[in-house]
Parts: sequence; C-alpha cells; structure tokens
Amino acid sequence: MALIKDQQLSCSHAATPEMRFTDWVSGGSDAGDAVLANGADDLPSLLAQAGKLSMIAIEFDTFADGRGFSMARMLRRQGYAGEIRAVGDVAMDRIDFMQRVGFNAFELRDDQDALQALQKIGEVSVHFQPSADGKGPAYMV
Amino acid sequence: MYAYNEFDQTLIDQRVEQYRDQTRRYLAGEIPEEEFRVLRLMNGLYIQRLAPMLRVAIPYGLMKSDQLRMLAQISRTYDKGYGHFTTRQNMQFNWPTLESVPDILADLAKVQMHAIQTSGACIRNTTTDPFAGVSADEIEDTRPWCELIRQWSTLHPEFAYLPRKFKIAVSGSSSDRAASQVHDIGLHLYRNEVGDMGFEVLVGGGLGRTPVIGKTLRKFLEPQELLTYLDAVLRVYNLNGRRDNKYKARIKILVNALGVDAFGAMVEAEWQLIKGQELRLPEAEIERVKGFFKAPDYLSAMHASRDLNDTFAEHPQFAAWYKQNTRDHKQAGYRIIIVALKNQLQAPGDVNHQQMDGIAALADEFSFSELRSTHDQNLVLADVAQRDLFALWLKLQDLGLARANVGTLTDMINCPGLDFCSLANAETLILSRQVNETFDDMDYLYDLGEIQLKISGCINACGHHHVGHIGILGVEKGGKQVYQFTLGGSASNDASLGKTLGRSIEQDQVVVVIGQILDVYVEQRQTDETFLQVIRRVGFAPFKERVYGTHQRSAA
Ligand code: HEM
Ligand code: SF4
Repeated sequence: MALIKDQQLSCSHAATPEMRFTDWVSGGSDAGDAVLANGADDLPSLLAQAGKLSMIAIEFDTFADGRGFSMARMLRRQGYAGEIRAVGDVAMDRIDFMQRVGFNAFELRDDQDALQALQKIGEVSVHFQPSADGKGPAYMV
Repeated sequence: MYAYNEFDQTLIDQRVEQYRDQTRRYLAGEIPEEEFRVLRLMNGLYIQRLAPMLRVAIPYGLMKSDQLRMLAQISRTYDKGYGHFTTRQNMQFNWPTLESVPDILADLAKVQMHAIQTSGACIRNTTTDPFAGVSADEIEDTRPWCELIRQWSTLHPEFAYLPRKFKIAVSGSSSDRAASQVHDIGLHLYRNEVGDMGFEVLVGGGLGRTPVIGKTLRKFLEPQELLTYLDAVLRVYNLNGRRDNKYKARIKILVNALGVDAFGAMVEAEWQLIKGQELRLPEAEIERVKGFFKAPDYLSAMHASRDLNDTFAEHPQFAAWYKQNTRDHKQAGYRIIIVALKNQLQAPGDVNHQQMDGIAALADEFSFSELRSTHDQNLVLADVAQRDLFALWLKLQDLGLARANVGTLTDMINCPGLDFCSLANAETLILSRQVNETFDDMDYLYDLGEIQLKISGCINACGHHHVGHIGILGVEKGGKQVYQFTLGGSASNDASLGKTLGRSIEQDQVVVVIGQILDVYVEQRQTDETFLQVIRRVGFAPFKERVYGTHQRSAA
C-alpha cells in the first residue's frame, strides 16, 4: 500500500497502528502512542487524550463517511501536531480535501496510483475556507 | 449582482478541469461506478431513465442576461433546445451526454456559472426570496448574505461528505417567499426590539418522505457570526447525523431524535469554540459584498411612472396581467414582473431556447440586464419602469409568456415525474396538462384566488406536495398509477403540512376531484376567505363527503 506523507511518496514510515483507540484507552502504559480511530469512537475523549499520541490514524470504512474530516479538523484546531493519517477507503479524489482539514498522511487504497494521487493535492488552488494548510479565503489573507 | 474576481474564476476553471479528469478516469474504468456516482452528483449530474440530467446552479436565483443566453446556447448545443427551472431556483438539462458534461461546464465557466454542489450529500445552492432587494415589504436585502454563504459553502473540504444533502434558504421580508421553514436551515433576517439586524435560525425543516417544519434554533444571531454559527451546526450534523439509513440521514431526523434543545446545546458548545474567530465576518468584508448589490440607476419617479388607466381600459388582458403578474416595488415608478413559465404548451418551469434568448433581451431592454428564478418555477424581471410595462407585455406575448396566471391554480409546481425521473412512481406532467385543459377559464381562476397546487411523482416530494394548498402525490398500486391528495399545506409564513384527504384517485379522475374540491371551497367560503382559510375553518369533512361520497355512489 502506497503512503503519501507531507506531500511526498514515503518509503520509510511507521506502520499504521493496529491498536484501536478504545483498546488504547483501557490499555495502560505499554499501549504505545499511536492509535487507529474512526467516526464511531468517542471524539471528546480522543480530543482530550490526543496530546499523548504521536500518530492518529483515522479510518474511512467507506469513502462516503465524512466524519473523519471533522475529526481531523478538530484535532488540528486544538493544536495537535502529530501525524494524522487517513486509512481505509482513501482515494485520490478526496486527498486534497483531507489535506485541507488537517490530514498529513494518506495510505492509499490498492487500486490508486500514488504519483497521480500526489498531483491531486492542490488541484483547486484557491479556497473560500480557512484550512489547516493556512490558506484562507480572500478576506483573511 | 455579484461579479467574479480572479479568485472565483480560478476556482471554477480549476474545478472544471478536475471534473474533466474524473470523467476521463471513469470512462477509462479507473474509478469504480459507485464512487463516480458520488463524484458526478456533487457536480450536478444524475443518470435518469432516458438520459443523464445536469443541474446547473443559479446562486440564490440571480442571473445576468448573458448567463441566460449561455443556458440557451447550451440547450441548443448539448441538449434538445430547452431547460427546466426547479423549485430551488436552479436549471436542469434533461438530455446531455455524460461525455459532454466537462465541455458544458467549461462553457458555463465562461459566464461565471457552474454545477458545483447542485446534488449530492453536501451543502447545496442557497436559495432566497426572488424579490430580494426590491420588494416593498422587505426588511433587509438577503443577497449579500446568500453570497457570503455561497462562498463559504463552495468546495468546503470538511462538509463534502455529509450524511445527506443540506439545503439553506434565507428570507428577509415580512412574507416568506423562500419556503425557509422546509429547509435544513432557514434564516430570517430581521430587526430585533432594539433595532439591531440579525438572523433567526431555524433548523430541521424538510420535505421528502418525512416532512417536517423547521424549529427555531436561535432567536437572534449577530450577522457577523453567521458563518461561525453555520460551521458549528454543520459540524455537529456531520459528526452525529445518521449514516446507517439514508432515509433517516437528514438533519431533521437528528434534531427530532435529540430534541431541538439538546441539539441546540451541542451546537452552542461547538460554537463557543469558534465564535469570534477566523470565520467571523469583518465589517469590511460585509460591506465589500454588499457593494455588489447596490440599487441600479433608477429613473426618477416622474420619468419612470405612467398613468396606465387608459391602457387598462383598452386592453383588459394587459390589466389582468398587471394585476396577477406584477408586484409592488420599493422604488416609486417601478414594478416587479413575474414571467410565468406556466402555459398550456410547456411543462411547468420549462423554457425553450428561443424563450431564453427572448427573456434575456427583455432583461437588457427593460430590467438592467438582470433576472431571477423563483421557488415556484417562474422568472422575475425585478426592476421595470411603469412606462415600459405595456411594451414589455406585448413582447412577452410574442414569446408565449404573458399568461396572467401567477398565484392561481394553474401556476403549479410540478416535478418531472415518470417522464424523466428514475425514482418516479407516476406521471406528473400529464396532470399539469389536464389541469391546464380543464381549468382554462381565467375569470374562474381569478375568482378562486390564490391556490397553490403542487404535484410530486413520488414520495421524495420534489414537487413540494406536502406544502401545497392542494398537494398531489403519485403512487403505484398494483401496476397502476394513482394519486393521493393532501389539503391544507403551506410553505409561507403560516407553514403547515397538508393532510391526506383519503384513498388514492385514478389518473383520469384527478381533474374531476380537483373540480369537486374547488366547488366545495366556492360553496363554503365567506366574503374574501381564501382556499386555505376555508380548509382551516371547515376541516376536511365537506371535501371528503364530496369526493368520496359521490365516487362511491357512481361506482355502485
Ligand atoms: C429528475 C431528477 C430528480 C431526482 C432523481 C430527484 C431526487 C430527489 C430525492 C431523492 C429527494 C428526497 C431527498 C430526501 O428525502 O432526503 C428529492 C427532494 C427534493 N427535490 Fe428532487 N429530484 C429530481 C428532480 C427535482 C426537480 C426537477 C426539482 C424541482 C422542481 C427538485 C426539487 C427537490 C426539492 C425541493 C426536494 C425537497 C427537499 C427536501 O426534502 O427538503 N428535484 N429529490
Ligand atoms: S418527486 Fe420523485 S418523481 Fe418527482 S422528481 Fe423527485 S424523485 Fe423524481
């Protein structure tokens, strides 16, 4: 599975965590600092504990489940600086939006061409909304 | 009206190329069917029974004459020479090919138009009062606020994959002409007791299979915080709306499940975190956008006015048209003109390319080159000087668009039904034809007064039947198309949902039943009582008795 991280194809990177956030919460000290979360998890709790995590992988069961977009946005908004990795049903037609809400790594679906996907970031180069990438609407810049 | 700057133009040009590439990859088999479905819907492309259908956005119903000309040209080049105005102020083309859509979008982009977010589970085109900025009863112009919402919602990265579609309507006058109470969010711009301008925010209205009237979420919202507040509502909905069942995914279901107070508390908690921050609208930005909606160079009342009494006496049809199809303007000497797209030959809301070109020319000649589409599938020329009215009327007659039936029974809302729509259970266009043929006596229609007839071809309620004074819903029973009647609905200030009259009616009996309902109204009404008032006063019994009583006897 190809991984794009910080706008580059990545060859060496940490594996996507298998530790689910719910298990991590009850796991104690040796549970590590990377978790796999999704839209069904307790978001207030994830936000509260995010400071202890170096990577949060947000899973898209299906590409149409947009909850992960708000999760990433809320994590970045409160200053979370670790990796937010999109995993699951992740395809090139959404990674630009994903990046704008705060994801910085994308584990692409098997049928995706990673080089082609890279070019999709910034395909629409102007935005009407404030984004995690700091590019805001006309009246904010 | 709003004009694109380089920024807006770059955005839609790049969006066209993005969609072109998506279409190319789909045709090359590189995007799975189900995924492309979602991508094309977000760009207004449906696949219908006979052909694809492309919905073009007309932001809050406002158009330049050049834009309407482009729609005419597109209908000639890529379609069969006509288009259809919808209840959400957009235009639909029924016959483009999937392959030609990127080229259509590129043509649209040349005149600052697009199909972005006209379908799909995202924030749709924001709609408003077609008389915004000109009507005599207006409190505040809604158009700058609609434009600000348009910008904020366009390609919003966080809210492109919502649980379901999301529709916002804005009203700013004492009468609601935007059906704001049956939208996911309805915004009412008004002045509070101390004279400050702000929004009342309604949430959770909607039609479809579970019709609901919106509930007040916030009594007064400071206008600078409009976008922070909308952002909070959308985030709460995106995270909490149901995704397991698409029939229960609209925000109205979430609001009803939690109760509006608990839902409001969640919004409030989120809003406290973002209020006053980056999305708060700076005064300068509000003023900049308001600057696009300044009043045009009106003639002085003396120059614009004309005493029309002699013309009325000479041309009674002109007098009737003036009475039915024009409205009071806030500028002395001017009228608002409604161009009724409801004649005997075309489906409600349909216009052909000659008419589009013709109306565009009339907008140039008489109304500062602008026009608007309306919630009830008509067009509006918003700024016509009284002295030009007769000349305008003559030209509308040439186009077949001078029928003086606005607000009457034949000014119907009608979805495309089985003739076009793959979800339909029954034909609807045949009903509008029958209604037009049967009720063609204008004096009778005028005597009946305001009656809103709204027809949908299935439970999805695109024809708004729930909020019709008379609503008709097509259903299929045992392979036959039959129709359920509802009475007493309204989408105006006194919004209410109609109630079912009784068992379904066969297709060839629909106009008979409409006639019976109208007869009961005429018999029951007291001086000046409208159809809706009579239903609310006397209830359903006399209507039921007439419709089903006689039916049973004749069937026996
Ligand atoms: C021909 C293709 C069309 C299809 C496939 C279609 C599909 C749908 C569906 C599935 C719904 C129900 C949404 C829900 O309950 O959540 C709906 C609602 C609606 N549609 Fe359509 N529609 C079509 C055409 C139109 C047209 C021509 C109009 C305008 C005349 C229109 C206006 C609306 C409106 C106003 C609603 C109600 C929104 C609400 O539930 O709040 N649609 N449509
Ligand atoms: S109401 Fe039903 S039949 Fe009519 S357009 Fe909507 S989905 Fe189609």
